Amino acid sequence: MRLNLKIWRQAGPDGAGKLVDYAADHVSPDMSFLEMLDVINERLVKQGEDAISFDSDCREGICGMCSLVINGVPHGPDRGTTVCQLHMRRFKDGETVTIEPWRARAFPVVKDLVVDRSAFDRIIAAGGYVSINVGGAPDGNAIPVSKQVAEQAMDSAACIGCGACVAACKNASAHLFMSAKIAQLSVLPQGQVERTTRVVAMIAQADADGFGSCSNEGECEAVCPKEIPISNIARMSREFTRAVFAGK
Amino acid sequence: MSSSKLDAKVPGGPIADKWDRHKFEMKLVNPANKRKYTVIVVGTGLAGGSAAASLGELGYNVLNFCIQDSPRRAHSIAAQGGINAAKNYQNDGDSVYRLFYDTVKGGDYRSREANVYRLAQLSVNIIDQCVAQGVPFAREYGGLLDNRSFGGAQVSRTFYARGQTGQQLLLGAYQSLMRQVHQGAVRMFARREMLDLVIVDGKARGIIVRNLITGAIERYAADAVILATGGYGTVYYLSTNAVNSNVTAAWRAHKRGALFANPCYTQIHPTCIPVSGDHQSKLTLMSESLRNDGRVWVPKKQGDKRPPEQIPEEDRDYYLERKYPSFGNLVPRDVASRNAKQACDDGRGVGDSGLAVYLDFKDAIARVGPETIKAKYGNLFQMYAKITDDDPYAVPMRIYPAIHYTMGGLWVDYNLMSNVPGLHVLGEANFSDHGANRLGASALMQGLCDGYFVIPYTIGHYLASTALPKVTTDHDAFGEAADNVQQRINQLLAVKGSRGIREIHRELGRIMWDDVGMARSAQSLTRALARIPALRDEFWHDVSVPGSPDNLNQSLEYAGRVADYLEFAELLALDALQRSESCGGHFREESQTPDGEALRDDDNFSYVAAWEFQGVGRAPALHKEALVFDEVHPTQRSYK
Amino acid sequence: MVSGLSSERQPGKLRYTDENMSSRIRVFDSSVGSKLLIGLTGLALFLYLITHIAGNALIFLGADTFNTYAHTLTSNPLIPIIELGLVLVFLTHIFKTVQMFVRNKAARPVAYAVKKPAGTPSRKTLASSTMIVSGLWLLLFVVLHVQAFKYGLEYEAASGVRDLYRIEMETFASPLTVAFYVVSMLLVGSHLWHGASSALQSLGLDHPSWTPRILAAGKIAAVAIAGGFVVIALWAHVTGGAR
Repeated sequence: MRLNLKIWRQAGPDGAGKLVDYAADHVSPDMSFLEMLDVINERLVKQGEDAISFDSDCREGICGMCSLVINGVPHGPDRGTTVCQLHMRRFKDGETVTIEPWRARAFPVVKDLVVDRSAFDRIIAAGGYVSINVGGAPDGNAIPVSKQVAEQAMDSAACIGCGACVAACKNASAHLFMSAKIAQLSVLPQGQVERTTRVVAMIAQADADGFGSCSNEGECEAVCPKEIPISNIARMSREFTRAVFAGK
Repeated sequence: MSSSKLDAKVPGGPIADKWDRHKFEMKLVNPANKRKYTVIVVGTGLAGGSAAASLGELGYNVLNFCIQDSPRRAHSIAAQGGINAAKNYQNDGDSVYRLFYDTVKGGDYRSREANVYRLAQLSVNIIDQCVAQGVPFAREYGGLLDNRSFGGAQVSRTFYARGQTGQQLLLGAYQSLMRQVHQGAVRMFARREMLDLVIVDGKARGIIVRNLITGAIERYAADAVILATGGYGTVYYLSTNAVNSNVTAAWRAHKRGALFANPCYTQIHPTCIPVSGDHQSKLTLMSESLRNDGRVWVPKKQGDKRPPEQIPEEDRDYYLERKYPSFGNLVPRDVASRNAKQACDDGRGVGDSGLAVYLDFKDAIARVGPETIKAKYGNLFQMYAKITDDDPYAVPMRIYPAIHYTMGGLWVDYNLMSNVPGLHVLGEANFSDHGANRLGASALMQGLCDGYFVIPYTIGHYLASTALPKVTTDHDAFGEAADNVQQRINQLLAVKGSRGIREIHRELGRIMWDDVGMARSAQSLTRALARIPALRDEFWHDVSVPGSPDNLNQSLEYAGRVADYLEFAELLALDALQRSESCGGHFREESQTPDGEALRDDDNFSYVAAWEFQGVGRAPALHKEALVFDEVHPTQRSYK
Repeated sequence: MVSGLSSERQPGKLRYTDENMSSRIRVFDSSVGSKLLIGLTGLALFLYLITHIAGNALIFLGADTFNTYAHTLTSNPLIPIIELGLVLVFLTHIFKTVQMFVRNKAARPVAYAVKKPAGTPSRKTLASSTMIVSGLWLLLFVVLHVQAFKYGLEYEAASGVRDLYRIEMETFASPLTVAFYVVSMLLVGSHLWHGASSALQSLGLDHPSWTPRILAAGKIAAVAIAGGFVVIALWAHVTGGAR
């Protein structure tokens, strides 16, 4: 099959970018979307032209590195799928496909389709952990955790930190991302000690980095490759309210 | 037989007491002095992330580097199955000694006993630590931790968090690391690639990195350097590793004098989704657990291209069940992989490429119903369907082996320090614990054990017992190394040839898979040793690396990694050639039992092969560390 | 402040820190606190609308009942206080939503060339995408509405109380006014279509089995409230109150 691609090219963080047309010929339906880009890049490389920069690593949907907005939807048309697991059989012969980077003030473009997501690291650094040093941990079975709570924590912990939630949100909000971590740690007994300080610190950091707020539309949930629900965001509101009343 | 370069520094005394005694004997760094020491950690996976966090907690001044945009993306994140620990929570007869025994035996008697025993001992602490961090391990209804059996172990000692154990453990380490970053103990340098090791007065004192965003060549000085940069599976081009996984950091350290041990020990995983075409960039692994219910078969006749459902029972060869009546489809990874290759070499492979065998769930579905199968394997079936567009409930899966893990790595002693003083190597990047074959669910255990519980002690000992005069990045050694790095970058950009980097990497992968893959012979290895240097020459004469050195240039990054692989591949093949026995993941066709099983030669090969770099294209020097087995006595594996 | 991360940019300046979180003003300046406040005030306005439509429905019982109700309500000494509260709630809602809108816009300085809704299970609708438009229209509407009915003409009914019934009938005699009211009420419906359930989500009132019902109930309430006001306006226009 053959596709017409419109790909965002931007030389650097400060340069202006634009959509550039590329033709993708002989696309096999078994290719992943990124492999299709690999083939185009190999052609560019052989011609001595600057390859299209895009992030990817594990290519099995878990590292969270790949990050493309395809035809206006982060990670493309399939639900619960990262770009690296999206296959070309999902597209029609002759289709025009627009590829853009995540767009948010907090995720500045580095080059082409690559953005800087270090703001997510700063949110976790602000409080997304249990403050215990190596060495003093009690036996793993010392505190029983009900299966239901463990499963609930795992549902939230499944977040891969790709940033699609931010990319999809009209407000470029990081609420789904941070609420998933807050929810995981607030349901587990291990997270109780810092329950109030954590939620306050993480929200403060996200706000400081220029993410928007949340309008409860749930576009984030719809594009999340791990289908993390916005009930996490509701929980974050409860945790924040609780923290406010605790005077933190 | 042991070389003087290779003092493993294994402490004396009974095996169970070695680590405790060693902990007492090692020197300590005064708490107030820790901040004065700077430690570089390269890599943020389970080993690097846990090491950086732990050293930060202790008060060291830590500089941590990774090539990805965030430390959370290291490839440890992709491990699915679980992590072993000798907790014996299931009351089924597990013990530290049993985990130790299983690991040495599983490694086909090619690992260092003392290291493995320590690994088994510390495994229990890892679980405690991770639970305390909030890792959501699977639980039983009573609230206690759940276990499953894994990789043919006779006890249930594997802890897991759904099919995302690696992710959850890594995020635990990452969060601890971010806490240290927040507190200022660790400085995080993302999107930096280590391109050289700096040695001053014989000791590792710093690294040269390329800032992947700005292209700047940056220098960092320290009192010790820790490499936790993972394995070299992508030398085969197609593997289950991440596309950015590479050998560069380890290889450049090797070129600076660090010995590379047992590079020929590579692990092949039998249940991966087969290659669908030239465009393919990586292989996707499916959990081995599929073999619990799936039956492996190929057509009896060569070239039988009928669709599987039209092949009647009498025309099918369930070859694993036929050849290994007692283990059947559950034989170990290496045996299952080799037999799949054999079937395909016989011309009985299935699918368009002929490079696949069937894994059939028809009987299991008939026996327990599709719902039960869905509950057990639903996510795997879904993943398979997504990638192949086939419905595994209706037609058999097609599977093929793929490179998955590399047991070889930089040589380290009991303290996880290489032969270069100050250079420590952790996790998959070192060679130490898995011998010639790694057991399932043991990689996560080793990475975290090294980072959380070994290096915090041994690095203190090194720092406290070594004279380390202050070194700054103005030192000549830094200038020399930075120039070296710059020169290589200039060379890559100057070739301006016509061949694609990926194309050459793919070609290297084909050489490695065909000649240095699942079954190796003197003939195939000699052929590879001729083909690799030729391809390397072609690379340096005709590769095209576009773009500039002074901004994000993924082509340049990739070309540098492939260039290193073109040197490293030769060492891997050479190591495989000198080891004319079969052991673990290394199968030499010349050394097999009459039934076609791997045949070890303990009299001649019970050693670690550690190679010293002598120059590109020049034969490396071989140093041997003799392996002594006081506890576990080598026997021939049998799965009949 | 997070230090030492390798970002090429400096981390943004904190609007507040742990130390001064005790100040409630700061709390409500945060993105989550803003949501809480908007949700809380929105919910209050929603409840107010329910009492409003319930009171207005009395118009169907005739002029006397309606006028008596209106008189009883307005002569209650607590009403000025309640009205003041209502105004504060209303102003807070407007201030916080506009402020959030401006900040949210700033969070994405470069727009996508192509952007499409992500589909199920997203709750995004035309209504949810136009909250700021419907909201600002309603601000204009409320000003005119209060001017017309609260500070408008002072007819006296036979019983001596203010003849609100007559004011209403005369107001809705004009087709232009009715059209303006109908459009405004459709926008009230649109605002509530997303707003009612959104307020509960903002406040963290979420439950696996109750949330789908809340979402449905919010939409039913939106239709009922907007529809009720529209019916009253149309009824007044068509019948002129003559029975």
